[in-house]
Amino acid sequence: MNDNERPAVTRRSSAPPPLEGRGKPRHRGKPPGPFVPSFWRSPIRGPWLTSVLGLILLAGVSVVFVTGLLSYAAYNPGLSRINDQTHGKGLLGFYLFSWPTHPVWLYRLNQGLHVTLGLVLIPVLLAKLWSVLPKLFEWPPLRSPAHALERLSLLLLVGGAGFEFATGILNIQQWYKFPGSFYTLHLYGAWVFVAGLVVHTVLKSRTVIRALRSRGLVRELRTDTAHTEPEPPGSSDLVSPAPAAPTISRRGALAFAGAGSLLLLATSAGQSLGGPLRRTALLAPHGQDLADGPNGFQINQTAAEVGIRAEQTGASWRLTLGQAGPGGPAPVRLSRAGLLAMEQHTAYLPIACVEGWSTDNQAWTGVRLRDLARLAGISDPASVLVDSLEAGGAFRHAVLSAGQIMDPDSLLALRVNGADLSLDHGYPARVIVPANPGVHNTKWVATLTFARRA
Amino acid sequence: MRRQLRWYGASPLHLLALLACFGLAGYAAARLVSSRPLAVAAWFIGAAVGHDLLLMPLYALADRSAMAAIRHRDPQLPVTPWINYVRVPAALSGLLLLVWFPLILRLPSPYHASTTLSADPYVWHWLAVTGALFLLSAVAFALRLRSRPRAVRPPHRRAIKPPERPAAPPPEHPASPPPERPAAPPTPNPAGGGYEYQPDSPGHRRGLEGGPS
Repeated sequence: MNDNERPAVTRRSSAPPPLEGRGKPRHRGKPPGPFVPSFWRSPIRGPWLTSVLGLILLAGVSVVFVTGLLSYAAYNPGLSRINDQTHGKGLLGFYLFSWPTHPVWLYRLNQGLHVTLGLVLIPVLLAKLWSVLPKLFEWPPLRSPAHALERLSLLLLVGGAGFEFATGILNIQQWYKFPGSFYTLHLYGAWVFVAGLVVHTVLKSRTVIRALRSRGLVRELRTDTAHTEPEPPGSSDLVSPAPAAPTISRRGALAFAGAGSLLLLATSAGQSLGGPLRRTALLAPHGQDLADGPNGFQINQTAAEVGIRAEQTGASWRLTLGQAGPGGPAPVRLSRAGLLAMEQHTAYLPIACVEGWSTDNQAWTGVRLRDLARLAGISDPASVLVDSLEAGGAFRHAVLSAGQIMDPDSLLALRVNGADLSLDHGYPARVIVPANPGVHNTKWVATLTFARRA
Repeated sequence: MRRQLRWYGASPLHLLALLACFGLAGYAAARLVSSRPLAVAAWFIGAAVGHDLLLMPLYALADRSAMAAIRHRDPQLPVTPWINYVRVPAALSGLLLLVWFPLILRLPSPYHASTTLSADPYVWHWLAVTGALFLLSAVAFALRLRSRPRAVRPPHRRAIKPPERPAAPPPEHPASPPPERPAAPPTPNPAGGGYEYQPDSPGHRRGLEGGPS
C-alpha cells in the first residue's frame, strides 16, 4: 500500500555506488537491508501519519471489542454450562449480565456492527502496520530491559490484532482452519490483544499528542503530493533519514485506506441490512438471496447437515414438555396439530447470526413459550433447556433465561410468513426469541425442560 | 534506585504498566492455548509478522516493479501522476482477495451444505469489482490528463520532456518552494525521471495529486 520504499543501496546510479561509498562506515556492525534506517524511504512515514491511523484504529477497535464482549454476554453463558462455549473464562466473565429481549434488533445491530466494522478496519490496520514497518527492524533489537518488555507487549498487540482479525474473517466464511474452537480463540485472543492495546495506548499517548500538534490536520488534508514534506529528520525513528520524493500525499494515503474501508463496507454491509440491499454485499457470505417465498430467507444450518431424518419430523413427531429435576409431574407430549390448536401468536422478529449477517423481521407464528411453561406445570420458570432433534453439535441444545421465556414475543414457532416452517428453518417447530443469537433460536425442537425457581 | 532505573531504561510507571499488561495477557493466554498450545502460538506469531514479512515484501515488490517497468519503457514518463491510478485499484482488489480468499477460491467445504448458497459467484464478483475499479481509475486518469494544460502534455508522447525549471519558485506557492525535495535523496535519481519532472509547473502539480479520485 502506497509504499515507495527504494532501498538506497540498490539504486542504479551514475554516481558512486552508495553501499560501498557511505553505507558501511555509518552502520558498523549493523545487518544490511531493512535494518539500516535509510532503507526506508517513504517521505510520508512519520509519527503524524501513524498517530492519525492509530487514533482511528483505537476508536474503531474499542467499538469492536465492546460489541464482542456483548456478543459473548448474549449467549447467557452464566445461565448454564451448556450456553458457555468457553468454560474456563474465570475473571474474564466479570461483566456478564442477563441478556435482554428488547429492543428486538439489539443482537442484530450488535453483530452487524461487530463484523462490519471489523472488516472496515482492516485497511486501517494494514496502513498502520505499514506506517510502523521500520520498527520491526530496529537495531539493536533490544536496547534495555524496558525496551525489551515494550517490544514483547508489541508482540501481544500486533499478534493479537492479526489473530483476532484472521480468526474473525475465516469464521464468517466458515473456513474453520484455526487451531481450536472459534469461541475460545476469538474471546481469549481478544483479551490478549486488548492487554497489548491498552498498554500501547498509555505508553504512546504523549507521542501521539506531540505528533498531532506538530502538523495541523486541516492543513495536512489540504496538502497535495507536490507539497508533501517529510517530517523533520531525527524527530522519530519512523522518519526516513533519506526520504524519496513523494508519490502520494498524507491526505492521499489516508484517502487510500479510507477507500479500502468504503469498498469493504459497500461489499459486505448488505448482508446485515437485508432486504433489497442484500445483493449489494457482493463478497459477503450471506450476500445472496434465496428463492422467493415465505421461507426464502437466510439459512445457516440445514437439516441434512445436522442429520435430521425425514421420519423424525413426520406425523410421529411429538414435543415433550417436562420439568427439570426429580419429582415433577409426568411430561406432557404434544403433536404439531395439538400445538396448532393452542392459542397462536405472531411476532415480527429478525434472525441474526454471530457471523454478522441477519434478516429483516419475519412474521413468526406459534405458541408462546410462557404458555408452554404453564402447560408443563411451572408458571414462573427460572429457565428452560431446549433440546433439538440434532444428533450432535455444540448448538443442539440451549438454555433460555426467565426473561426470555416470559417475553410475549418468545415463541415456539410453527409457521413463518403465513406458511409452515420449511425443514431447513426448523420444521416441525423452532424457538424464536427476540434479540437472541441465531444459534440459540433452536430448530427442530424435541424437548422443552423448564426449571423451577429455587 | 537511580542506578536500577538507568539499568531498566524507563520510569517505574512504565514497568508497572507493562507488568499489568502481561498479567492480563498471561491470564487470557493460559486459556487461549489450553487445547493446542503450539498451533495457537504459531498462529499468533504468524499473525504478528505476517504483514511485515509476507505481505509487505509482496506489495512493495509489486509496487517497485510497476514503477520500474514503466520507467524502463519510457524514461521520460512521469512516475508520480500515473502510479496511484494503478496502485489504488490493484491494492483495493488485493485487499478484497486478502479478506475473502476462502470464498473466492471456494475453500470452505461446509459453506454450501449449511447455507444452501453456492460459493461459485464469488470469484466472478471479485473479478467484476476488480475490473470496475481499474475502469474507474482509468476514467479518472483520462479526465486528469485532459484537464492538464497542453503545454505540459503535448499530444505526442515522445515529445514529453521535463518542463524547464523556472529560476524562481512559482508565485502561487511563495510559502513552500518545492524544488528542494527531489534533490533530497542522498543519491542522484536518474531512474526517477519523473521526479525531475515533478515540481515546478502548476499544471503538472495538479497531475501529481495522489490518492483515489
